[in-house]
Amino acid sequence: MFSEALEESEFLSRIPVPLRQKLAALSTRREFPAKAVLFQEHQPHEFLYLIEAGHVRLEMSVPVRGRVTLLTAGPGDVLAWSPLLGSGAMTATATAMDPVTVWAINGSQLRALCEQDHELGFHVMRQFATALSHRLIATRIQLLDLFAGPSDATGSGNSSQPSGEARASVKAAAAAETQG
Amino acid sequence: MTEPARCFPRAQLQTLLNELWRRDFTVLGPQIDQQAIVYGELRETTQLPEGWSDEQSAGQYRLVPRGDQAWFGYAVGPHSWKRALFPPLVTLLRVQALTEGWNFEDLPEPVPQYALIGVRACELAAIRVQDQVFLNGPHQDPVYRARRERLFIVAVNCSHAASTCFCSSMNTGPECTSGFDLALTELPDGFVCTIGSERGREVLSACDTEPATEAQLAACHQQVRDTEAQITRRFDTDNIHDLLLGNLDHPRWKDVAERCLSCTNCTMVCPTCFCSSVDEVTDLQTDVTERQRKWDSCFNPDFSYMNSGLVRNDVRSRYRQWLTHKLASWHDQFGTSGCVGCGRCITWCPVGIDLTEEVAAIREAST
Amino acid sequence: MSVIHSPQTTCSRQRANPWHTRRVRIAEIIPELAGVATYRMILEPAEEAAAYDFAPGQFNMLYVPGLGESAISHSGDPAVRGEMWHTIREAGNVTRALARLPVGATLGLRGPFGTSWPVEELTGRDVVIVAGGIGLAPLRPLLYTLLHRRGEFGRISLLTGARTADGLLYSGEYDRWSRDMDLQLTVDRATPGWTGPVGVVTLLLQRLKLPDPGNTRIVTCGPDVMMQYVARTAEGRGIAAEHIRVSLERNMQCAAGLCGHCQLGPEFVCQDGPVFRYDQVRLWMNVEGL
Repeated sequence: MFSEALEESEFLSRIPVPLRQKLAALSTRREFPAKAVLFQEHQPHEFLYLIEAGHVRLEMSVPVRGRVTLLTAGPGDVLAWSPLLGSGAMTATATAMDPVTVWAINGSQLRALCEQDHELGFHVMRQFATALSHRLIATRIQLLDLFAGPSDATGSGNSSQPSGEARASVKAAAAAETQG
Repeated sequence: MTEPARCFPRAQLQTLLNELWRRDFTVLGPQIDQQAIVYGELRETTQLPEGWSDEQSAGQYRLVPRGDQAWFGYAVGPHSWKRALFPPLVTLLRVQALTEGWNFEDLPEPVPQYALIGVRACELAAIRVQDQVFLNGPHQDPVYRARRERLFIVAVNCSHAASTCFCSSMNTGPECTSGFDLALTELPDGFVCTIGSERGREVLSACDTEPATEAQLAACHQQVRDTEAQITRRFDTDNIHDLLLGNLDHPRWKDVAERCLSCTNCTMVCPTCFCSSVDEVTDLQTDVTERQRKWDSCFNPDFSYMNSGLVRNDVRSRYRQWLTHKLASWHDQFGTSGCVGCGRCITWCPVGIDLTEEVAAIREAST
Repeated sequence: MSVIHSPQTTCSRQRANPWHTRRVRIAEIIPELAGVATYRMILEPAEEAAAYDFAPGQFNMLYVPGLGESAISHSGDPAVRGEMWHTIREAGNVTRALARLPVGATLGLRGPFGTSWPVEELTGRDVVIVAGGIGLAPLRPLLYTLLHRRGEFGRISLLTGARTADGLLYSGEYDRWSRDMDLQLTVDRATPGWTGPVGVVTLLLQRLKLPDPGNTRIVTCGPDVMMQYVARTAEGRGIAAEHIRVSLERNMQCAAGLCGHCQLGPEFVCQDGPVFRYDQVRLWMNVEGL
């Protein structure tokens, strides 16, 4: 079985125990030291990871800008679903920020198991969908750039806002600016 | 007070006005200005709109001759008494720069002492509503309080209802029952006067009055019934709070937004609307700055402005704000409706929007 | 009246005239971030300074004569009497003028106004504080209060996010705070040299260990959208809406429920808020343009 802490994660706790055991049978516990690269952008990769401990930085490489960190993942998060969904190359580079422990599941083996056992397949896909939806909403909020100040280029247009204007001075009370 | 009513001939109304001025009241009452009946300083009964009535409908107001000598034979005009208690412009603070820093002087203007002549039942209700807003919450408005404490009210029972009136639907009229110092009913030969307060009795004692006769009292009751019968507009307010707040996405809001000009007329003429803003007014000569409070309106585009933009960025959301506040949220905030059924917003809307119709449309096709 | 607030009995003088303005003097200016500074202010005369009291979450109206007023939350320690702290970001005419004032300059002040964070309701609970950007400022008085009375509360977590590392407010105090609470930071976007977490602050809440969701309380302050997703995430993890407090803002002028500007549905944000229980305002927050 997975470790106790991981069993309580949102991803695993909502999968019925007997099905979880089938998943555990496919998984191997692995450890990465800080700075280790778990997978590389544009490269194929076999394994999904459930993070048990530690933090992982996800980056994409942009010409001229270099490596841009998009997100950091931590305990309970699921990483690298491309192997499960069969989409070939990885879309980001994952680097350990501190010593990381993950449970690695071979993507094509999991896929085969899901096709064979539809009940397991349903639960696995549902949990991935949930994890992806959390990630998507978080990404949208990042896109909204809610904390943009007066000197920050926002890029995300909003027709009702004068461009570049900052949020009101301090939260909990809006400025009552009169004409001056 | 259950004192028996008095009566007096027409000429004694001038005596009443004189007595009020003698007691240092600034007397305000109805008079004609620019083809409407408005409120202004009233010294002589000759200023009253004798023999005039009004014809009102959505987006329309005109004065029509009555053919008699009635002084109060009309409904209400574009002015309401909130201009006396919640003035359109008032100085809240006077600020001066001294060597040690800013110096602040509260409420520098003198407080007027008003006597209002001709206050209708719906207007008494509106004053009650604004009492609730300005006096009974966690904070009071000192300007309203000072003027309200000194206020003398001579109410008048309506003998004429306009087509836009719907006080009976709001339980605010047409009869004046309380909240006045004196209440008059105009009959062909004079006035029947009900005393509503000690101050009212004192002021009335300057006039030559007699006990009202049975016949006169009967005539008063009949007048109330006749006026009630003239009211044709009905407003179904059943469950209106939940109806409006439960239909914030109703297509009717979009519909009314296509007609509404966001001109703020309705809020200016409404006797209970209380929104205001504060301006800085600086005198370059004397280094004195004043904070002046003026009427504002939720229909003004930057009413909801925050540094990041306008919260209510279109007419639809502003109209919805006005109507849901007036008829629904007001109940949560103040325990009553914000509407007294005077009909002014219907008359003075340049495109003739009728809030009773808008609510009915939402009710008919509500979720 | 749909008022469920931590009752702050308005002092009777303020109730009678909420426009009454006092003089306050800038005693110290502490630069915080680009365009953000904290002002230590002292009321005059001395009796006013000694008598002034506020609860965490409340705000003052600060007045620059000739320009106008600005509603600014307290950001200092309520236990420290005789002076007050305001963290102010330059955003409009008034705050920009304020930012140019030197130590020793005076301003007008009205307050305190508004509802406060429900400190007594948090005793015996696990408390999760979620702050976004400058939203940490109105939460700092609560933080100080919790730290003074640390033993009365369970686990305390502070999750704070900003656009970039440059936007993390009060970073000089993080070490001290970490000793008594679980403090986690995150930024929306990484800048060169940033080695910490990246991602919106709601993700920190998603991952946070909650041993007892039924006994956990959330207080949050930041942009509306952020607070709504904090609440959504919290509810998804078993924390009821009644146990989530948000701090809202709207256009404020009188701060006393008398001018109409700050209404959100039936709520006057200046008087029924700015601190609200989430179940009280969730409906209104979800209506576009209300």
